[in-house]
Amino acid sequence: MVLTSFLLQCGKKPVRSISEHELAAAWAEMALYITKHTPSNSPTYASRCLGYTGLTMYESVVHGYPSHNSVASQLNDLAALPVPDAGQTYHWPLSLNAAQSNILRNLYNQTSDLNKSKIDSLEMSFREHFSRHIDDPTLIERSENYGRSIAEAVFEWSKADGGHRGYLQNFDKDWSHPERPGSWKPPLYAQSFSHHPLHPHWGKNRTFIKANSELETPEIIKYDTTGNSEYYQQFKQVYDKERELTQEEKEIAIWWGDDPGETFTPPGHSYYITTVAIKALKPDLIKCAEAYARVGMAVADAFIICWRWKYHFFSERPNTFIPQFIDQDWESFWPDPPFPAFPSGHAIQAASAATVLEDIFQEPVSFFDSAHIGRARDELRDTDFRQRSFDSFWAVAQETANSRFYGGIHTLQDNEVGLAGGRSVGKNVNNLEWHTAPN
Amino acid sequence: MAHSSQLIFVVSIIQSSLAIAQEMVYFKDVTKQAGIDHQFQVYEGMFGGGISVFDINHDGLEDLYITGGMNSDALYLNQGAGRFKNIFVGSGLELTGNFVTQGVTSADVDRDGWVDIFITTITSRDSIQKIPRAINLLFLNNGDLSFRDATAEYKLEPFYSFSTGANFGDVNADGYPDLYVGNYFLEYEGTLSEISDATIVGANQTARGYLLINHKGQYFTNEYEEYGLDHRGFGFGAVFTDFDNDYDQDLLVNHDFGYKAVPSYLLQNQYPQKSFDDLSKQLNMDLKINAMGAAVGDYDNNGLLDYFVTNIRFNFFMVNQGPGKPFVDRARDLGMHYVTISWGANFADFDHDGDLDLFVANGDLNPNCVPMANFYFENQEGSFTEKARQVGLNDYGIGRGSVIFDLENDGDMDILVVNQKPVKDYPDSSFTRLFRNDLANGNYLKVALKGIEAESRGIGSRIEIVVDKVRMLREVDGGGSSHISQNSTIAHFGLGNSSRVDSVIVTWTGGNQQVLTNIEANRLLVIQESPEKRNLWVAGGIFLVIGLLTLFGYFKFR
Repeated sequence: MVLTSFLLQCGKKPVRSISEHELAAAWAEMALYITKHTPSNSPTYASRCLGYTGLTMYESVVHGYPSHNSVASQLNDLAALPVPDAGQTYHWPLSLNAAQSNILRNLYNQTSDLNKSKIDSLEMSFREHFSRHIDDPTLIERSENYGRSIAEAVFEWSKADGGHRGYLQNFDKDWSHPERPGSWKPPLYAQSFSHHPLHPHWGKNRTFIKANSELETPEIIKYDTTGNSEYYQQFKQVYDKERELTQEEKEIAIWWGDDPGETFTPPGHSYYITTVAIKALKPDLIKCAEAYARVGMAVADAFIICWRWKYHFFSERPNTFIPQFIDQDWESFWPDPPFPAFPSGHAIQAASAATVLEDIFQEPVSFFDSAHIGRARDELRDTDFRQRSFDSFWAVAQETANSRFYGGIHTLQDNEVGLAGGRSVGKNVNNLEWHTAPN
Repeated sequence: MAHSSQLIFVVSIIQSSLAIAQEMVYFKDVTKQAGIDHQFQVYEGMFGGGISVFDINHDGLEDLYITGGMNSDALYLNQGAGRFKNIFVGSGLELTGNFVTQGVTSADVDRDGWVDIFITTITSRDSIQKIPRAINLLFLNNGDLSFRDATAEYKLEPFYSFSTGANFGDVNADGYPDLYVGNYFLEYEGTLSEISDATIVGANQTARGYLLINHKGQYFTNEYEEYGLDHRGFGFGAVFTDFDNDYDQDLLVNHDFGYKAVPSYLLQNQYPQKSFDDLSKQLNMDLKINAMGAAVGDYDNNGLLDYFVTNIRFNFFMVNQGPGKPFVDRARDLGMHYVTISWGANFADFDHDGDLDLFVANGDLNPNCVPMANFYFENQEGSFTEKARQVGLNDYGIGRGSVIFDLENDGDMDILVVNQKPVKDYPDSSFTRLFRNDLANGNYLKVALKGIEAESRGIGSRIEIVVDKVRMLREVDGGGSSHISQNSTIAHFGLGNSSRVDSVIVTWTGGNQQVLTNIEANRLLVIQESPEKRNLWVAGGIFLVIGLLTLFGYFKFR
């Protein structure tokens, strides 16, 4: 909505003054618009883009704020990013504006020409707005060039992480996956027409933060099909829950579905929650940029670690176990995504985002999540998209995880380990030296 | 003593007859002895193939075209006595070897009396395509066991698509068969001159189908929009069928991933207007399933066509409730609730007891390779019993398209099933299978149509018979039925003990009817269209118009 109103204002006078947090939020909304409206979308690739987009936003303004450090030197294999010329002045919103436009066009090279023109239009409208009282054209040029140089450098660095143009290899048809009792089987009630699992090599990608790549592999409950085993009971809980879902639980299940074919994906939902907080709290530009950088990198690393573990264990979904050992006719409430179960990607990324958001904003926040308001009712499941409300960021993470259990596509074990893993990932993001002095 | 020895004698008779019953195979796998040696090879898992049944050379024996995917297609000439010869090489159809073929359907496109064939493809084999797409192929029958490529001549070259199934039908009742083509992934007009990341990521989106209108047997034009069609979907083809008994060709469209992308469609033909109305939702036919194919038949002989739609896990049996009423899925309560992955399905009265039984071809999503046996649902007074194992049809090949036809002209329906080559290790063999029906023992009637103004085999027409107060209904199969296949166009009726049929009613496309009475059973009845009748209608129409004009003139100018 903000995005649209900015575009509509273009060329009209008098122009309402746009605050800096609105600038940051509008670019975050554009990032999610492009994510949602680019085909062959995946949660993995989307999380990666949010990591680089958020980091670019932060690095394109950080030198304007003595309270904050560039985190470039603390990131995995990123020696340095361009620094501003000493003694020169910069207009930081213009730097951010040019940098966001550049990084989105680079990361979403595969998006349509129409979408690219939307990025250009947004950049142009903000340029007009923020430069209208600037008499020195070299200041505009210098600021934009600096922003672009950050985006270009971040993009160059991104190329070697293992996920560059990852949308061209969503499914590796030559990769043969493990086949053993308890292993993942291509779903019959599926979200994707591929019967190969998504991005099997994603777990080998470079993380933003080295400490995240060193996280210890979790434990998984041992495969056992006997009725009283812990393993069997995990699936029995999913089965029992599906048969007694309340209408609200169904609403939660579809709300957090965030199918990459139709929405901005689960990590996009975390980026969206960040925008909700920013709109409510209206922080200054650097805090906005820090929030997007932290959330972006947290969800990106969460997906890499999650995928490493998913493909290490290569574990089955309830749709495989339950029809085989509990009830032949059973089908999950929500269709299966095309990758192994343990741990939950929804849970890990949501927990990583909640962990950084709690740390940044600290004060208790109550907010509404309206991400899917206006979507047509899910007729197949006889369920509406209803606005969610929360009193804490962690409540969002917990509900995101629960939603997969309600959807029948994850066991409680998948969720609990996912949430714990996400906590660790988020803490490692928080542990970077973001600030020069205590807040 | 005498009493007890009689008892022993009776018991032993019962025992031996039970033993015979257990050993008896009702459908015999005659693949090898018939000379069929075929296996469909997938391009990248899952897709294809199909079969079309037609008489290439007018010798009264039904021949077969079977697609091969990455393997060669096959053209099996029926030589009688249940034997085939593959005459593909030298037939002029070798061009198909440059493509990954999928489905096939046949009709007399140019109305020269010889049946022509249309083959769908997903990509080419002679050149590497980064985005798999290719043209579909039209071959005209030369009448001498050979065919010629007419794709360009019929203006079908701009259509670069990932096409699964196609079906002929006479949408505008002009006697020239039109085509609907189901596309799975986004279609293009012409080859792509430049391939960017954007075109690659956009390629796997849902596609529109093609509605190709036949212009006097000269060429086709795509009139999808003109007919009000705007649906996209992961298409597995469609069937033309008259679900509402108004004698025009409605369209049942199968879509994969209906629960996530676009559901299936039921489109009502508004003939003589050039349009289709979407009644999917209203009639509960917007199936949100993985619709792979459909069998068309009136299982309860109530004069309303029912649709068995194949799916992943559980199939749907959409039973027609009458004009304007939503269809009801009765698969579960009629005894068809079994887990599997189904593709082809064919209604036929296999046992000649007067009602339609159902064969279903099952197979895993290659490269997944879990064996799944086919189904045979015997219709027993309106409900079904699965008996594939008992009747010898529980083949575990990776099944796709299947057809029914009369292999040796003995009056019963035999079955051919395309099986795919397993990509991975497979615990059973998976080759295309021919099953000869040795089960039927009641009487039958076969009815073939000979169109004069209608398509030459009567595609788009329907045949009803009345026997002992029971009315049975069949449509002439224009293709796209089962899974991307086409059954015999000769209608087949099982008659039980009845040795005569009271009446045979043919309704030609557009609504002209011909009635024959008191027909002897156990024969092939060939009904030639009597064009006089149609001319009479035309003459009557002209007379009426002239009369009205005269009246109008009288009142206006008096």
